[in-house]
Amino acid sequence: MKYKLSKIGVALSSLCLCAGAMAQTGEIRVLVANHPYGELLKLSIPQFEKTTGIKVNVESLQESQLTQKLTTEFATKSSTVDVFMTRPLQEGKMFSKNGWYAPLTGYDFSDYPKNIMNAASFGGKTYIVPLVTEWQVLYYRKDLLQQAGLKVPTNFDELEAAAQKLNSESVAGIASRGKGAAAVTQASSYIYNYGGQYLDKGTAVFNSKPAIDAVRYYGKLLGTYGPKGVTSMSWENIMPLFQAGKVAMWTDASVFYGQIVDQSKTQIPVANFGIANFPAGPKTNAPFIVSSWGISVSSQSKKKDLALKFLNWAASKEMAIKGMMGNITMARSSVWDDQVVRSKMNPGLIETRAFAAKNGTAVDRPYMSAVGEARDLIGELLIESINTKGTSTKLDQMAKEKVGRVNELLQDSGEYGK
Amino acid sequence: MIQSSFTERNLRILFPLPAIVFIGLLMVFPILYTLYLSFTNWNLTSGMEPTFVGLNSYLRVFSEPRFLHALGRTFSFTVFAVAVEVVLGVAIALVLNRDFFGRGFAKTLLLLPLVATPVAVGIVFNLFYDPTIGLLNFALDALGLPQGRWISSENTVIASLVMVDVWQWTPMITLIVLAGLAGLSEEPVEAARVDGASEWQILRYVTIPMVMPVVLTAMILRLIDALKTFDIIFAMTGGGPGYASETLNIMGFKYSFEYFRMGQSSVILVALFFVVLLCSLGIMKLRASSEN
Amino acid sequence: MKNKIVNTVLFYLLVLLFALVVLFPFLWMLTSSFKTQVDIISWPPKLFFEPTLQNYRKVFEEQDFLKYFFNSTIVGAMAVGLSLLLGLPAAYSISRYAQKKLAVFILLARLMPGISFLMPWYIIFSRLGLMDSYVALILSHMLIALPIVVWIMTTYFSTIPRELEESAMVDGATRQMAFVKIILPLSGPGIITATTLSFIFSWNNFMFSQVLSMERTKTLPIAVYNFLSYAEVDWGGVMAAAVAIMAPAIILTMIFQKYVAKGLTMGAVKG
Repeated sequence: MKYKLSKIGVALSSLCLCAGAMAQTGEIRVLVANHPYGELLKLSIPQFEKTTGIKVNVESLQESQLTQKLTTEFATKSSTVDVFMTRPLQEGKMFSKNGWYAPLTGYDFSDYPKNIMNAASFGGKTYIVPLVTEWQVLYYRKDLLQQAGLKVPTNFDELEAAAQKLNSESVAGIASRGKGAAAVTQASSYIYNYGGQYLDKGTAVFNSKPAIDAVRYYGKLLGTYGPKGVTSMSWENIMPLFQAGKVAMWTDASVFYGQIVDQSKTQIPVANFGIANFPAGPKTNAPFIVSSWGISVSSQSKKKDLALKFLNWAASKEMAIKGMMGNITMARSSVWDDQVVRSKMNPGLIETRAFAAKNGTAVDRPYMSAVGEARDLIGELLIESINTKGTSTKLDQMAKEKVGRVNELLQDSGEYGK
Repeated sequence: MIQSSFTERNLRILFPLPAIVFIGLLMVFPILYTLYLSFTNWNLTSGMEPTFVGLNSYLRVFSEPRFLHALGRTFSFTVFAVAVEVVLGVAIALVLNRDFFGRGFAKTLLLLPLVATPVAVGIVFNLFYDPTIGLLNFALDALGLPQGRWISSENTVIASLVMVDVWQWTPMITLIVLAGLAGLSEEPVEAARVDGASEWQILRYVTIPMVMPVVLTAMILRLIDALKTFDIIFAMTGGGPGYASETLNIMGFKYSFEYFRMGQSSVILVALFFVVLLCSLGIMKLRASSEN
Repeated sequence: MKNKIVNTVLFYLLVLLFALVVLFPFLWMLTSSFKTQVDIISWPPKLFFEPTLQNYRKVFEEQDFLKYFFNSTIVGAMAVGLSLLLGLPAAYSISRYAQKKLAVFILLARLMPGISFLMPWYIIFSRLGLMDSYVALILSHMLIALPIVVWIMTTYFSTIPRELEESAMVDGATRQMAFVKIILPLSGPGIITATTLSFIFSWNNFMFSQVLSMERTKTLPIAVYNFLSYAEVDWGGVMAAAVAIMAPAIILTMIFQKYVAKGLTMGAVKG
């Protein structure tokens, strides 16, 4: 009896395999970002094609150009994209509002931190699988701090004192993004640590006293001890400075660590570059930890089953471990506990992530559809503060005005008060 | 008796017809689409379909101080850049107008900035202008001159961008003026020389006035393109610091692809089109009347 | 005598200064393309360094540069070729029949901001299923090339005396035959100029190519942005890519420099 059943079982399963194989031969179009994980995917795609027989047309673009292209294609309802990398906090709300993501029912999200999943779901359904994660850290020059007899700053007072001591004609004491919209994500941790926020329950609240205090501190720090021209600098301008030895400390996202400790990119011995937890503010220490990139299936895709196969592979635990071994900080929780990974990954990353995962905030920007415009508005505040070293008398008035405008944006997109 | 065929009689229509059809097809729809969008309030962040709102988007955009500033900046960048390019371009043309060893080589050099890819030029100049590790500040420091913030400061960003534009486009003016100078007749210059005028006087009262129509034409051509400058501003500052280098074209791009306010960005683009059109017509009229 | 020597020396110094200013960015790009990232960003700037080919290796091997090069060439050649096909007869007509309004209509394409074309074109091309081919790119680049061809050739044809085709027509030829058999052969220089210039503008075009190209059809200017990724700026790669993109255009220019110079001034001198 058993023998007969198993024979039938084998026959049935081989039938299914055949049918499956026929459905599998096809072609899909995938858009990835110029991100280390995107590069990894591109490199690994031939393997995927071999195992599944699906042909993949992959295209990689710089992040803002990726958004532009996707928007042009989706908005004109003439897209041929099947799978794409996406930024949950930057375009997630807008894309899901317009119905551009296909819902991922049945996908197992248990391996992801709950608060990160909040940004991947809208209206009860989940649309994005988080791929990578990043959190705010403090990069610093161990040798310079040692020479000045300083310990690694653990709070904002120590940070300012260290910046002052380390600042000189040839080396900036501290650097952080000052370029308007780009700076908003890095300033967020400063604001959280003062007890402020950008949005609260769908209303703009960044003109609260804690938030303004944080903005003033940010401006004071960068205006006094920052590199020249910092208000037009984002990470791509600060990183070469840091690697050239012209900056002593740098607060930014963890994702740059791999570059910093790459000896081929700098003359300074990489043992001198350190990474530490973001310093605490007067109120708390809750630096941002977010999923910067995820992957989704396009709702306009005509090959959703093939697309899902790709998505499952690209977001799988196996691929995640591959990423971790390449020092790409993945979003899946389990891979951080894997022993092999832990032995290979930079301990600084593991430590700082553990801290951020425990205490951190899951957003690094006003989480709304019109986030691009909101970031420009908040960026104006940051620039004003930096330009006046935090002393501007116009700051409160300006903040009130910007809060009003962000609230308008929220109202226009129906997100106010939600 | 020569019989002209249907083709020959209608040559004036048939010859340009393919070009007209092509441009019509490719240009008319975008113009109409942009115009249509400018009368809607389509905003991708609201998730709604475009709705007709008449002149509402126009009112909102035109009353926005940022738009007026961008309009002003478009003019200041253009006037600044074109003025420097014309003065410098004419000067260089006058210098290169005489026969000298290496003249052919110099003329070849002239063409190089013109054919350089603007986007690549912008990215490279970014590094050049960096206040801390950039080559420019280093060279100035080595010469004992004061360093600057260049594109990192609101006060110097327009001038810094103009410098890059001048580097790239002055050769165009020079070439046009050189050709014009070559076409001038020798007599007035000879006559003035016979009358005892100095080289400077000849230059000022004879040569330059004679070549002025050509200079004006060169200026028109450059003006139209300068009003629409996009690549170098996009690659270098993206409109920053803050909005200090945001021209209409850049603002239109931002509103389209960063704010996703399609209705309002269309208004900005329509405005830019009319600015370019009116400036072109205006200067063409000026040139026509100066030729009389 | 002494004055003359001083003047000559000053003159040559001026010319040298001019040459340096023009060439400097190119020289810097070229030398940087052979430097490692460390050397490029080092402070003070390094004059002497150990050259490396790794940037070019990256550009040509890792980045599939030959594919981009091939695409830019195909799109440029087709766009220019088709523009000549459409533009030469149109320019002739405008020149001989003084069709000013027509000239303005064609030049109108030059006045519109490029961004306004992006979405409408995307709609048309994707509905027509033309997106994954060179067609969309070629058509969009034709909109750049055609006005240039018409503008240059209109002026050029005006310099050819009407008597030439009129005498042929008296002998029994039709005007269109005269155009093909007599006028066109005489237009060699003008055509070369128009071809070179419009090819260069197509080669350097960034915006249209970025939105309308797919991975298969990506053109060169986009390749530069490949070196600006999410967490890394590869300056060596950027410089090498910039050199690789500009080199063909520069070589082309130097070969055809006489015609290019003439073309740029065309329409200005004759007005």
